[in-house]
Amino acid sequence: MEIIFIALKDSLALTLKLLCIILPLSISYEFLKHRQSSIEKKNFAVFGISGKGFIPLVTGIIIGLTYGAGVIIYSLRTTNTTKKEAFLILLFLSICHAIIEDTLIFVVIGANGFILIGFRFALAITLTYLLYRSRLFNAQFNGFPRKGGRIEQ
Amino acid sequence: MLVQNTLLHMNTFYSTVKRGFLNGILITYKMVKVIVPCYIAIEFIKHLGLIEVISAFFKPCMSIFGLPGESALGLMAGYFINLYAAIAVITPLQLSSKDMTTIALMLGIAHSLPIETGVTRQTGVNAWLMLAARVVFSLFAGIVINLVWKLFS
Repeated sequence: MEIIFIALKDSLALTLKLLCIILPLSISYEFLKHRQSSIEKKNFAVFGISGKGFIPLVTGIIIGLTYGAGVIIYSLRTTNTTKKEAFLILLFLSICHAIIEDTLIFVVIGANGFILIGFRFALAITLTYLLYRSRLFNAQFNGFPRKGGRIEQ
Repeated sequence: MLVQNTLLHMNTFYSTVKRGFLNGILITYKMVKVIVPCYIAIEFIKHLGLIEVISAFFKPCMSIFGLPGESALGLMAGYFINLYAAIAVITPLQLSSKDMTTIALMLGIAHSLPIETGVTRQTGVNAWLMLAARVVFSLFAGIVINLVWKLFS
């Protein structure tokens, strides 16, 4: 019986630590939402991702897929991102997302944050760039132009 | 006029902070529901001595990543449930900083797969391909970081 109490106490202590990270983050997300339109004009052309793709990309990197889902799905569907671009964005995000929260919660329990962030960014950038340059990938998409500014399902 | 403007500004500021705060509490509430049961379950498994059995069972496959066998539980929890479950599972295991970083990296790339595959599917990109890519790169990153870490230490 005692073991349950100890586990309960420890798990609540862990939750409290995580709360200290999550609260400031969730408040800064709300401020970030106000700033969205100003980053829309920037360009990220190196990896074949345009300024419009920048919003879902940045949202995903900072906030993550679960909580940023609304913004990511909305902006990929409403702006003129090509299907190819959407794929590149999703590939980048699948490796490198929720970079602040994920890293911090693991740092709390003893991981090395610099290695985590560095490795994920490096891997995501390398893969996205390689895929963007690869002939097979480009051939896949060149035959199918997009219709009406929406991603076909 | 100026006073009114300032007041309006303050109002939006406070409502932004408030929204962020409430969101943070909501996330924490969802987190507690996962962390507490997982933590108690792991403490029980440890107490009953089952952890040695599990550890021995997973030792061959986890040694590819240079991890102890019992960390397979944390990896599974992260892949199938979410990161908070994974944290609740690996915290009581008391792993070294290297093991923690390796697991954090692997889980950072692939986690909450059932939920996040749903998000990916809605953006119109091939979700199964993305799922496969995440799992493969997660395992790949685990192998690479193990080798690199050994090289530098």
